[in-house]
Parts: sequence; C-alpha cells; structure tokens
Amino acid sequence: MGEEEQKEEEEEKKPKAEFKFPPDETGLGIISAVIAVIIVILPGTWVPAVIKAIGVIFALLWGADSVRKTSKYGLGTGVPSIGVLAMGYGIIGALLGIAFVKFAEPMGPFSSVAALGGVLLMAVVGYISGVFSNHEKIIAMKIPGLERGMMELGMAGSIAMLLQFSIVAGSLSFDKVLSTAIGTGAIALMFVLSMMAMFHPYNACLGPDEKRPRTLVTSVEISGLLCLILGIVLAATATPVWGLGGVVDGVILIAFSGIVWLVFYVKFVKECMRESDSVVGTGLIRTIE
Amino acid sequence: MPIEAVAMLFAWMLVIVFLALIACMFEDLESDTGSQSNPNSQVQLAAQVGQVHRFFNKAISGEAPAYAMYCTTAGVIAYVLLLKGIHPLLAIPIGAAVGEAFHVIFATTAHIGRTAGSKRFEQPLYLDVLYGHLLPIATHGFMAVLCIVSIAYIQSNLGTLSGMSGLNHPFALPMLAFIWGITVGAIGSSTGDIHYGTEREFQDRPFGEGRRVVYHGKITRYAECGIRTQKDIVGFCVKYGGPCTGLTFGLIILFENWRTLVGMKLGGFLPDLQAINGDMAAILGIVIGIVIGIVLIMGNVTLVKWARKRYGPFVGE
Amino acid sequence: MDPITILLVVVGCVIVGGVFASLGVHLLPVGGAPAAMGTATGIATGTIMLMLGAAVTGLFTASTVATFSTNILLVSFSGAVGSWIMMGVTMLMANVIYVFGSGLVPVSGRVEVDPITKEPQTPYKTPQCDGHGIPTVSYISGMAGAFIGGFGGAIMYFALLNYAFPAERLVELFAWELGKAATVSATMAAIAAIGIFVANAILAAYNIGGTIEGFHDPKFKRLPKALFSCFFVSLFCGVFVCVVALLGGLI
Repeated sequence: MGEEEQKEEEEEKKPKAEFKFPPDETGLGIISAVIAVIIVILPGTWVPAVIKAIGVIFALLWGADSVRKTSKYGLGTGVPSIGVLAMGYGIIGALLGIAFVKFAEPMGPFSSVAALGGVLLMAVVGYISGVFSNHEKIIAMKIPGLERGMMELGMAGSIAMLLQFSIVAGSLSFDKVLSTAIGTGAIALMFVLSMMAMFHPYNACLGPDEKRPRTLVTSVEISGLLCLILGIVLAATATPVWGLGGVVDGVILIAFSGIVWLVFYVKFVKECMRESDSVVGTGLIRTIE
Repeated sequence: MPIEAVAMLFAWMLVIVFLALIACMFEDLESDTGSQSNPNSQVQLAAQVGQVHRFFNKAISGEAPAYAMYCTTAGVIAYVLLLKGIHPLLAIPIGAAVGEAFHVIFATTAHIGRTAGSKRFEQPLYLDVLYGHLLPIATHGFMAVLCIVSIAYIQSNLGTLSGMSGLNHPFALPMLAFIWGITVGAIGSSTGDIHYGTEREFQDRPFGEGRRVVYHGKITRYAECGIRTQKDIVGFCVKYGGPCTGLTFGLIILFENWRTLVGMKLGGFLPDLQAINGDMAAILGIVIGIVIGIVLIMGNVTLVKWARKRYGPFVGE
Repeated sequence: MDPITILLVVVGCVIVGGVFASLGVHLLPVGGAPAAMGTATGIATGTIMLMLGAAVTGLFTASTVATFSTNILLVSFSGAVGSWIMMGVTMLMANVIYVFGSGLVPVSGRVEVDPITKEPQTPYKTPQCDGHGIPTVSYISGMAGAFIGGFGGAIMYFALLNYAFPAERLVELFAWELGKAATVSATMAAIAAIGIFVANAILAAYNIGGTIEGFHDPKFKRLPKALFSCFFVSLFCGVFVCVVALLGGLI
C-alpha cells in the first residue's frame, strides 16, 4: 500500500518538475489505466479516500488525453459531446460494476475485482460505437483512432465513476452505493464534474498553439475540485468519525484535493501567462494585416 | 384545510415561475458577460482573422453542461448543509456561492487557456480584462444559480411546504438542480445568444440582414466610447435579449407545472390524493399541454407571416 | 409479470428510448454557432444540449406524473408533451428575438419553397447566408422531434423506475423506508436514462455533423444509419441495465 502511494506520487511529481508529460498518448493511457485499475480492485474498505482520489485523477487524466486525441480532427459538434458520451457510458459501466461486485461478494474479500467486468463490457460498447461512427457505410466520421478513443473513454468513465462511488460510499457494496452516492443525488455531481474534467481541458486550451502538458494540467486541476466536493460529501454523510470511510478520511481528502487543485491551478495560470503572446496590464487594440 | 393546501400549491408554483424568470434572465446576461457558448466562436475567430480584441473568451463548453455543473455543485453543497440541520435560508446561498467559486475558476482557465492557445495571432492577455470580468460573471451567475437551487429546494419539498406531504418530488435536490441547470443552459444558449451574436457582436453591420460569412470574425471591437469589452454588451442585451430569455424559461416552467397541477385538480386527484384518480389527472394534463402546444404553433405561424409581410423580400446587395 | 417478460419490457423500452432519441435529434432544427449569428437556419445551440434540455424537461414532468399514475403510456406522453412545450416556447421566443431584435425574416436555406406553407424562401434570404431564424417547416419539425425525443426519454425512465429498479424491491432487500427507496429508485432511473439517452443523441448528432434544418434537409436522408447504430448501442445498454437489475437482486 505504502509503496503504491509513493510510486503514484512520483508519477505525479515528474511532470511537475519538468513540466512535461513524458509518456506519449499510448504510454500515459496504459500507466493511468494500470494505476486506476489497481486502486479499483483493492477492496474499498482497505483503502483511504485519498488513494482513491489519486485513482480518479489518473482515470480522468486518461480520459482527457483521449478526448484531446480524438477531437483534434474536429467532431462537427464541438469538443464537449465526446466527454458527455464518455460519462453516459461511465454511469452504465459503474452500475454494472457494483452489480457484479454484489454478485461476487459471497466469494471472498477481493470481490471488488468483479467491478472490472463492468469496465470491460463498457469497453466493448465503446469500441462498437466507435466502429459505428467511423465505418464508412454507417456514420463515416473518418477520424483516425476513434474506435480506440471511444473504447478508452468508456473505460475511463466507468473507472472514474466506480472510484467516486467508492470514495463516497466507503466501498463498492451495492446497497451503500445506492443509498449514499445515488440516493443523495451526488451521482449527478460526479457525472457532470467528471465530464468537465474530461472535455474542459481541451476545450479551454483549444487553438493552434494548444500544448499537451498544459491541457493535461487543467484536467488534474478539475479533478482536484471534483475530489474536494466528494470529500465534503463524505465528511458530511459518513457516520463513523475515525477510520476509513469516516469523517476524518473525508477531511484528509478535502485537504489533499485542495492542495492538488492549488498546485495545478497556479501552475496552469503561470504556464499560460508565460506562453501567451504578451501579458499586459491594459492596452489598446490594433488590427494586424 | 385541503382547499387551502391546493391554493398553497398553486402559490408555490408561481414562486417557482418567478424564480425561473429571474434565473434565466441572469443566466443569459452572465453568458453575455463572459461571451460563452455559440457567439464565442466569433471571439475566438476574431484573433485569427487579425482582429485583436478586448473580449473575454469564456469557453466553458456549452452553457447546458456548464450550468448543470454550477447548479449541481451548489445543490450538493446546499443538500449537505441541509442534512446537517442548517436553515435553508443560509444553506442555499452558501451552496450558490461555492458553485460560483467553481464558475470563476473555470472562467479563468478558459480565458487564459484560449488566449495562450492563439499565441501566433499576437493576441495579448489583458490583465484588466481578465480581472475586471470575473466579478460581473460571478455576480450574474450567483443570481442564476441561487434561483435554480431555490427552485430545486422548493420542488423537492413542495408537499411539505404546501401541507400535502405526498407531493414531494421523488428526485433528490442535487438531481433537480442538475435537471434545471441543463434546461436553463439550453434555453439561455438557444434564445439569449441570438441577441448578442446577431445584433451586438456585429453592430456596425447593416440591421435587418443575416450576418454574412465574410463578416465572420470581424466583430465590432469599438464601443460607444472607447474599446468594447464584454461589460458594454450586458447593458445592451439587458434591454431585450435577457428578459426574453427569462420569459422563455418562466413560460416553460409555468406551462409545465400549471398543466400538471390543473390536471391534478380537474381530475379529482387534488386535494385527497386518491391513486384511483391519478390516470384521469395525467390525461387532462396531457390534453392541456397539447392545446398549449397548438397555440404556440399558431403563434409562430402568425409571427413568421407577419414578418414576411412587414419586412418583405431581401433588399440590398 | 414474470421476470422474463420484465426483462424483455425493459430492453424493449430502452431500445425505443434510444432510437426515438436519435430520431428526435434528426428532426430538431439546430444551427449551432452560425445560427447565433443569423448565418444559418435553426436554433442557436448544439444538438445534444438542446435535445437533452428538452428531454430532461419532459423527464421532470414524467417523474411527477409517475408518482400518481402507473400507466406507461400516460407517463410517456406526459414527458413527450413536456418536451414539446419546452421546444415550442424556446423556438417561438428565438423567433421573437430574430424578428424584433435583429429585423430578420425567418427563412430556410435548404429549400426554395416551404414544404408546409408553400411560401417562397429564397427572395427573403440574405445572400451568403444559409438562411436565418426558424421558418414554419422547421418549427413543425422541431416540435415533432421534441415530442418524439421526450417520449423516448420518458418511456425509458418509466421502464427503469418501475421494472428495473422498483422501489418496493429496494424496501424488501435493504429494509429502507419507502420514501428513501422511492428517491433512490427515481434518481437511479433518471440518471441511467439520461446516460443512455445522451449516448444515443450524441451518435445521432455525429451522423448529422452538428447542424440540420428538419425533415426537409437533405441530411435527413442519413437517418437510417443513425437508427441502425443507436439500435445496437441501446440494445447493449438495455441488456446491461437488466444485468444490473438481475445481479443486484432487483427483479
């Protein structure tokens, strides 16, 4: 557990130091997916909310990278649509995941592995819808890599949603998720903020001089905000004070995600100010011929 | 007294309509303050066609998901505070304030991100434009979000407030905030944007014609006095586009709730809440809705006919 | 009903919902960003946002009606009429702004004569524009699209609420009180319905490339392709929802 956490923090620090995301799109996808999947399959009651939040951040980072990769070619309906699609699938995948966990619960403590069933099924649906959209006899969007993009988005959405369920409910057990994550309406927040974390980065940085590291930093920043609210929900609805899934766990999550947000927000603002043409306090305008 | 309860029900419905009117008007004005949604494509394009501008480029997706986000955040915070026993008069504004804090954060990232993304067009990042617009955005957005969360609160407690506890809406408060957030955003972008995009953004072009493709990107950059920023636009749109948009959402909420309530009353479901009368209530609600829809269609046909007759065929080049 | 029938009904309703969402998107007059500048015919917003806005308005009414009626058709038609009114008011007020705020005559850019009122369109159109405003034919088409889309969303919600995640079963399983179970069931059905609806609407929006004027638009001929895709995607989603209900012990 401890090693896991250290490793992840290293992963996070790397880009901070050099302001680069060294892995390319495939590499980042694989790394993020592996980290997020490891956190999903650990039994929810063993893992503090902070680790799960790291998983959420990585899953959404993966999604944001996929959105960037796919919508570079122009979707015809704007960038947001594909992020919304990802979370539409994500909800179904996460519901499937918790149902599988309930089915596997009698089999032992590692029942949360079964949640991956939902993720994989959503990958299948995502791939199929990608094929439908790209096939020249059907919708014919002709975007290279759309099949893979939609598959990744389905998976990233499901994983992110599962981890958020796990943060709020403390574990992936069916009735707890239903009563704390769905019955309170927190699922609407998860839906809308996760899709923001996926599509807002590329949408906000859009332009000919868009840079990948800057885009991905925005995603981490928004995930920080998302985890902040989830921490508030957890701290307010949890019944035990101490221990995992309790009030203190929520407060730690609030502190952690607040720091993540602040660090990446400041980083993004500084980076944008450095990379924009010029930063002036005020000034007149001119027409460039 | 059941009759009083029915009267209360209608009264609360009118409160909701009033809140909806204000919410959508401020929503539209806020989107004009930040230049969100569809007209923003011209602000983005302006730098690319060589027209450096002092507009705020708030590209937070479409208005519908954006408002769904602020309202849901506000709704969740308000809901959590209500769970903790805090009075709604305090919980709802605090929730709305948190929603607006998110809004400002997203607005900053969108503006500076897009400005940095169009570096090669030599569009500078004006700090006074950045800082000067955040507060108007937050205040306008606060009004909209506050009203939407209040609507969600009233609807999720409608039965308790009016004295017939069977009528509480089954959705949780954040879910209602999400639904109305999406709707208010969809309406704000589909009606309110027109006044800003067609008229104000191209005000130095001839009135009464569609904005031709050659004009695209060449937005009006000079104001009545000095260089135009987004703040000049709000003062213009508040005279026509904003109230019209508010009216749209208000009318929708009015027709929707009114037809359901009238159906419930005429169908005999109110005030006794007998399940046996439920189907009749639903049928009457549908019939009233269809009549309203037909009236709307007739209104549009009349409007189009009038415009064609009054304005005549296109003259000019 | 026995479980097999329930499963078939749920899958059927989800497919109807998804396919109707797709059909509704094709009928809406959506102009996207150019419409906000009066350069294209239609409503000045994105397809998905508009369809979702209309559908959730319908969903709200449908969920209210579902608390006092258990007839699937009545609930679905309530939702459909809700979307209908939303779209009707929105398009009417958009036209009011076009006519009185910008002095434009609503006119179609894709056809020379309005197929419904037989009024000529081309003389009223600004050159270099693809039409502006919402002419009568697009208005009628949009109303039809909203009605169909709202019906799809509401029927999906009703099936999920009453057959896939019924509140009574939650009470039996977890010993919750009925009010809490009703909230959980309604919220879960609504968010799942929105998720499936939006996925189908997005596929349909990709099919039309973001903008369409209504059923008279040449792009409308691409409809079968979207219906085909949406049928299969909804089929999968419907089966998955059934799996959730079965494994969760809700059926």
